[in-house]
Amino acid sequence: MSLVFDNLGGLITALLWVNVRMTLTAVIVGFPIACLFAVGRLSRNPLIYYAVTVYVNVLRSSPLLMILFWAYYTGPMVTGHSTSAYMAAVIALTAFEVAYFTEIVRAGLQAVASRQRRAGLATGLSVTQVYVFIILPQAVRKMVPSLLTQSIIAFQDSTIASIISVPDIVQVTTIINAREQRPIELYFALAIIFFIICYCLSRLVDYLEARQSRRILGVSKTT
Amino acid sequence: MRIEFDWSVLWRPPFDELIVSGILTTIKLSLIAWVFALIIGTLVGVARGSPYRIVRFLASAHVEIFRNIPLLVQLFFAYYVLPRLLPMDMRRELFNFGWEFGSAVLTLSLYTSAKVAEHVRAGAIAVDQKIKSSALSTGLTWTQAHVYVITPLILRIITPSLTSEFVTVFKSSSIALAVGVAETSFLTQQLGYQTFHWVEANALGTAVYLTCAGLVAGLMSIIERNTRVPGLLRRGATD
Repeated sequence: MSLVFDNLGGLITALLWVNVRMTLTAVIVGFPIACLFAVGRLSRNPLIYYAVTVYVNVLRSSPLLMILFWAYYTGPMVTGHSTSAYMAAVIALTAFEVAYFTEIVRAGLQAVASRQRRAGLATGLSVTQVYVFIILPQAVRKMVPSLLTQSIIAFQDSTIASIISVPDIVQVTTIINAREQRPIELYFALAIIFFIICYCLSRLVDYLEARQSRRILGVSKTT
Repeated sequence: MRIEFDWSVLWRPPFDELIVSGILTTIKLSLIAWVFALIIGTLVGVARGSPYRIVRFLASAHVEIFRNIPLLVQLFFAYYVLPRLLPMDMRRELFNFGWEFGSAVLTLSLYTSAKVAEHVRAGAIAVDQKIKSSALSTGLTWTQAHVYVITPLILRIITPSLTSEFVTVFKSSSIALAVGVAETSFLTQQLGYQTFHWVEANALGTAVYLTCAGLVAGLMSIIERNTRVPGLLRRGATD
């Protein structure tokens, strides 16, 4: 047991500095791209529509590991300079999450009643303004629970980076285990750390969903 | 920088046989895991509506544990930790038997079963309360009502969401490379390392997973069409 506490600092550092940082980067960079792509998924221009749809469907049907291979092994061949394993993992995770976020944002945009869009247009706003100031703010509020759930999955998926030797918490555990040969304690600790974080976050999602359905019910009661 | 393509590495020996065996391993692993996940997930999902508090608690615990720990961590746990809990001779037996594949099947089915259970629970809410009451009023016990009436209905209702979980099993099976199962992603990496034709190797691996996803989606849409609950979708739309 003391073995786990001795190494806890290293594990938590790897968790924050690699897994959490990677997840946050993927979410923060991926979300704006996903918003653009979601508008593309609703576009009447067939070129934009098909390009985005193919991207979303291909990425959602491939394993993250394959996308990671593309970024890590073929990325340098295409760009001509080497990519660090961490950078490749960030790029792969972002590209992967963009596909999932796009579908969540698209569903959110479609859930905003079309009379909101027509009313916005009628006040003289341009299509872009209507999206940015009227539809997106309402849609984002509805999407928050799904986006958070997807971010939890992204956080769990960030462990896959250990397969290309990114020093994340799983990789650090494997290294410590190679030295100490105490897999029971180490992998138990690893599982518990993830369980506590992801369990608390999914309770937060439940709370947000409950609050949201209460608010919708409350609004429909007063009108 | 110019990249030289040589697609023939994919069908030149020794890789042709490796590729075929890798694809078959992916399919075998995913299908076995899916069957277990479907059975365990359905049982656990239905158990979450059980009249007994202890059964409900155990079912929820199952879902929370397997849903909130990353698949890779569960896989390492199954591969490195579980054999240590066995006596030495049994442990050797386990590895002779092929624990790489066994641990991958175990974790993949349990991880997916938690997700299936969530869909089953959502489906249970979608089944009309009147059907439950009528089933019970004909004299069926709670268990009988769930086995003969409600669970078949739930499974028919949630077929669309099960499709995406089925596809996810194929995708998630790629993680098995971490414990050395020679499945598609493993052979992709081997092919890349040995020939340095990474584009060809990755294209092959990705194509295999995309094909599997397409086949699963096609199969499930046929099942969905034939098992659709009459009237249910229309009523949902007009509500």
